[in-house]
Order: sequence, then C-alpha cells, then structure tokens
Amino acid sequence: MSETLTTGANREKDDTVLEVEGLHKAFGGLVATDDASFAVERGSITALIGPNGAGKSTIFNLVSGFYEPDAGTVRVNGTDVTGMEPNEVATEGLIRTFQTPRKLEGMTVREAMLVGASDQPGESFLKLFTDPSGVEAAERANIEDAHEMLEQFEIGHLATQPATDLSGGQMKLVELARAMLAEPEILLLDEPVAGVNPTLANKLSDHIARLNEEGVTLCLIEHDMEFVMNLADPVIVLDRGSVLVEGPSEAVRNDQRVIDAYLGGDSA
Amino acid sequence: MTLRERYDAMTRAEQGVTLFVGGFGFLLVLALLTGTLTPTYTLYLAGLTGMYILLSFGLNAQWGYTGLINFSVAAFFGIGAYATALVTATNSPLSIPGGVVVGLVLAILASAVIAVAIAIPTLRLRSDYLAIASLGLAEVVRQIVLNQRDWTNGSGGLRGIPDVFAGWPVLGGLPERLPGLEFTEYAVGVPGLFQVRVLGFTLDTPFWTDLLNFVVVVVFVVAVYLLLRRVHRSPWGRVLRTIRSDEDLASALGKDTYGFKLQSFVLGSIVMALGGVFYAFLAAYVSPGDLEPINTFYVWIAVILGGSGSNRGAMFGGFVVVAIREGTRFASDILPSQLPVNIPVLVDVYGAIVSDFGSTRLLIVGLLIVLVMRLRPEGVLPPQRELVWPSALEERDE
Ligand SMILES: Nc1ncnc2c1ncn2[C@@H]1O[C@H](COP(=O)(O)OP(=O)(O)OP(=O)(O)O)[C@@H](O)[C@H]1O
Ligand SMILES: [Mg+2]
Repeated sequence: MSETLTTGANREKDDTVLEVEGLHKAFGGLVATDDASFAVERGSITALIGPNGAGKSTIFNLVSGFYEPDAGTVRVNGTDVTGMEPNEVATEGLIRTFQTPRKLEGMTVREAMLVGASDQPGESFLKLFTDPSGVEAAERANIEDAHEMLEQFEIGHLATQPATDLSGGQMKLVELARAMLAEPEILLLDEPVAGVNPTLANKLSDHIARLNEEGVTLCLIEHDMEFVMNLADPVIVLDRGSVLVEGPSEAVRNDQRVIDAYLGGDSA
Repeated sequence: MTLRERYDAMTRAEQGVTLFVGGFGFLLVLALLTGTLTPTYTLYLAGLTGMYILLSFGLNAQWGYTGLINFSVAAFFGIGAYATALVTATNSPLSIPGGVVVGLVLAILASAVIAVAIAIPTLRLRSDYLAIASLGLAEVVRQIVLNQRDWTNGSGGLRGIPDVFAGWPVLGGLPERLPGLEFTEYAVGVPGLFQVRVLGFTLDTPFWTDLLNFVVVVVFVVAVYLLLRRVHRSPWGRVLRTIRSDEDLASALGKDTYGFKLQSFVLGSIVMALGGVFYAFLAAYVSPGDLEPINTFYVWIAVILGGSGSNRGAMFGGFVVVAIREGTRFASDILPSQLPVNIPVLVDVYGAIVSDFGSTRLLIVGLLIVLVMRLRPEGVLPPQRELVWPSALEERDE
C-alpha cells in the first residue's frame, strides 16, 4: 500500500473509511490531541503507535464520540460524525474496543456476545409484547450467529461459561468476536494484545488478519512492536498529540524522528 | 414433574429460600389455628407484603436491571397512593369522579410524567446525579403533599377510601353481602401433657374485605412479575444489564443508553406507583407520613437482600422486610418488659431493646444487611440462570 514514509499523515488515499481532520482536544492546560489529521484506507490494517501519553487513546475517544473535540472533524464512510453520541457513531459502522477489557457481570459468554448484534427487534420494549414471534426469530438467529462467531475464534467451548470467569486473553477474543457481531465497517482496537501471553497474542494476530481478509477495515493501537510489524500497513506514529510520520512498518521503525520521539517520549 | 424432581432441579439458593418460605408458612398456619394471629390481620400482612413486593419490583427494574440509583421510592409510592385517594376518598378536596380504574390511570400517568421530568435532566450526567435529584424529589413530593392543603388535605390525610370495587356490579359491596362464617373452638392436645385451643373465630365483613384486597394484590404482583420476567430475559433487558455493568460498552456497541435508562426508570416508577394504588385501598387512609424516607430505605433493603437484578429476589426481599417490620411489633407485644433473671448489664440492654422496638427494628435490619454483605454480597437469590429469550433457546441446548 504505502510505499514510502511521509512526514505527517499520508492523505493521498482513494477510498477511506475514516477521515480525521485537524482534531484538537485539551484537558485543562494539557493538549492531548493537537491538530491531528489522518485517514484509514478501506481494507487496510492501520496501526496507531506512539510513546505513552502520545494521545492515542484520546484520538480513539474523539473518533468514537466518547470525547467532544475542541476543533476538527471526523468522517466515517463520508458521513460527518463529529459531535455525535457514541452509539450514533457506532450505528455509522465504527465499532471500538477499550484498552482495559470490560467484563459483563452475571452474564454468560454468549449473553455478553448477544449484546453486540445491532438492529434487534427485541430491544424495543413494545415489540416484546406486540411481536414476540419476530423477537424470537431474531434472537434465534443471533444466538446462532454468536455461537458460530465463537467457533470461528476457537472459543466455542466457552459459550455458556460465566463471562467473569475468563482470562484476560480470552476476554480480548470475546470482545473481538462481539465487535464482529455488530458488523462494523471499521473496527478500532485499543491495545488488543496488552497483557496477553505470547501464544494467545499470536492467535489474536491471526484472527485480526483473518478478519481483514474477510473485508473488515481495522485501525489499532499497540505497543507490541513485533505485533505491529507483522500485521499492520501503514503505521501512523503519533507524538504529543499530532501525527509525526506515516509509512510502512520497516521504514517507520528506522526513522530517526520516530526513534527520538520514543527516547524523549515522556518529556513533560 | 413431581415435587421431589422440582426440588432437585433447583439451585441451592432456590432450595434454601423454598424451605425458608415453607417453614414460615407452616408457622403462620399454626399461629392462625391457635389464634395468635387473626385471619383478618394475616390477610392485611399478606397485602402489605404484596405492596412491598411491588415496590421492590419497581426499584429492581431501575437499580437491579440498569443500575439507576433512585432514592425516591416513597415519592412514587406516594404518587400512586395519593392519585387513588384523591379520586376515591370521602374527604378528597378535589372532586374527581371515578373509582379504582380512574385512580389507576391517574397514578400511572402521574408517575410516568414525574419520572420523565426528573430523568431527562439527570440521566445524561454521571449516575450520582440521579441519586441526588431523586433524594430531592422525595422531599419535594412530601412537602407538597403536606402543605398543599387545598389539594391533599395536608397532614390530615385522606380517609374513607372505599373498597376496591365499590360501585361495580357483583364485586361492589361483596364483602358486606357475604355471610359470616363461624368456626367453633376446639381443644386439641395430648391429655395430661399439653392442650391448645384452636379455631374459634368468625369470618365476617372485614375478613372478606381483606380477602378481596389480597386477591387484588396477588393479581397485581403476578401480572407485574410476568411482565418483568419477559422484559428481563429479552434483548431489551440485556441492554439494561450491559448498561449496569458498563455503560460505555453499551454505547460503543451502538445502544442508545440514554433512551434505555429512561425507559427503565419510567417502568420502575410506574410499578412503584401501582404499589401505592394498592396501599390506598389496603389502608383505606393515606397521609404524608406514608411518604417518609424510611419506606424508601426498606425497599432498598428488600432489593439488596433479595439479590439485585432478580425479580424473585425482590419478592423474597419484600417478604422479609414485612416479616421484620411486623415481626418486631409482634415480638414487642409478647415479650415481657423485664428480663426474668437478674443479670446486671443484660437487664439494661434487654430493657432498652424491648422498650424501644422502633430502634430495635432498625438495629436488626442493619445487622441483617451487614451479615448479607459479608456472607453473600450478591444477595440471597440473585438471578440463577442465563437470561435469554427462552423459546429462542429451545432445541439448541437440548
Ligand atoms: N479524560 C482525561 N482527562 C484529563 N487528561 C486526560 C484524559 N484522557 C487523557 N488525558 C491525558 O492526555 C494525554 C494522552 O493520553 P492518552 O490516554 O490518549 O495516551 P495514550 O497514547 O493512549 O497512552 P498509552 O500508550 O499509555 O495508553 C495523557 O497525558 C493523559 O494523561
Ligand atoms: Mg492508551
């Protein structure tokens, strides 16, 4: 895809799913996102890397509607989603996961999975009474999909386990599987392999590659360089709230500015 | 299924609760037979239990399902009770004609409107804002009821609330028309060992009135339970449970959490108002005292003790709260006011406990909560099974 390294983001992409322009966010005096612009091309696995506190998670929160930007625009599939509520952004096809896995108390794994499916008639209070057979049919189909999805992620045996009994790595797999039930156009993953053992990290990497082959566009934040190098192209480097460079992983890794950013990264 | 199979299919928590309720029922029958409790009073207690169950159902639909903190249970209860009383009481300052149906409709509308009014500004904010606002609402409603004398008759309360079905064909005035049933007293026992007198009471109009009330509350409780069970197991209920665990996750998956929270809050408030509607008929008198915050507190105890998020737990909790409330009253009547043996210190402690049962009751409630939180923080009967639309799982899990 991207052949060479560009200073700042590469904006010469034909078919973008996500476009971020001039995004700005300050928390009091601290500028977490500073005029950040970048684009994610359809069908790519785009990585967002950068030293701790570079503002990666903040960008995810701005893009997905959890934070309100001070300035700038976010477009998903050409639709301006700036300032929309998170659920509205999700409805536009952008689904995200969180840096710390979220557990659903009192649910089995498949129950936790079922929350992912969108457009469920059973989520309308009235339809529970006016159209129980429609609710049942949709629920049946969703349960079927949930089981199938768990099988694809090789965790079918966990379906009826309590969701709180999972290991951190299994939790990440379930989150990924659940996000897929929402049929996203683009999936934002915040540190998908943080705290996961290497074997499971490799598995996760394979699954992400598989999803990508099935046509899902991904944008992920990750500190694990090896993981990023194997999986992602292009890589966007963020430093102090703005985009430093963008390019293929190999070129990014050897760029002096990137090395400097990481070495002096925590300068307050 | 035989009883035995049914019992074996239960979880341990369910078995425990079944045995407890069974044992309690047995004691109740004994107390009835021996005249310790009169049938009329027992029915009144059962009605009160039904009312607390409705209130607990309501709070459970807010706190247990969605995690909404509502400290104005007494206010929504009061809205239901006053809506009914204003329509039916003989000294109601507002002359709205109508009976139970008008009262019911008014209660549902009023509670829904007030629930929406308080939910709209607070539900978008952090969850503690609703808690604070509801605390304020409870006091506002109580003060309005107390001070708007020309609407509510103020501290005098509203009296003379007729039977539920007054003016209806057949059911109206039924308790007066039913004959008195006399039960002759018997003495049973083992000669020379012990002897008790059983039966020996007459069932007349007050009994039939309370029996009719009891039937009404059973219908309310069963109807609300069936409704709640359906919505709790549905995808709708699943979104609420997701919001309770992690609201951000629910929004990230495209759920309009604000809308769901609003629905859950309104639903719970209406159910609480139903408890109030019934109470107006049960007590035939409502006053601002019924809106005291202590009632909110009891309902919270019921839900936490029963197991937040569980409809059956709320039912059990409502039952336990009435047992404590009325049981301590009962105990204060039958316990001697002085300890029969003279042990220093203990005599004083005993005296303090027996002379002030109002405080003792709170002490018991407090101890019970501490115990439950230490030993079983999820409550006695938390949801026992996977909550999935049942018919959608048929075949699959066979
Ligand atoms: N809600 C918030 N309030 C105040 N400051 C915040 C908030 N969220 C993030 N920040 C600050 O913004 C800066 C960027 O944080 P962010 O979490 O985006 O970094 P990151 O690149 O994801 O770091 P990491 O790799 O450690 O996850 C940090 O200095 C952080 O303390
Ligand atoms: Mg982060």
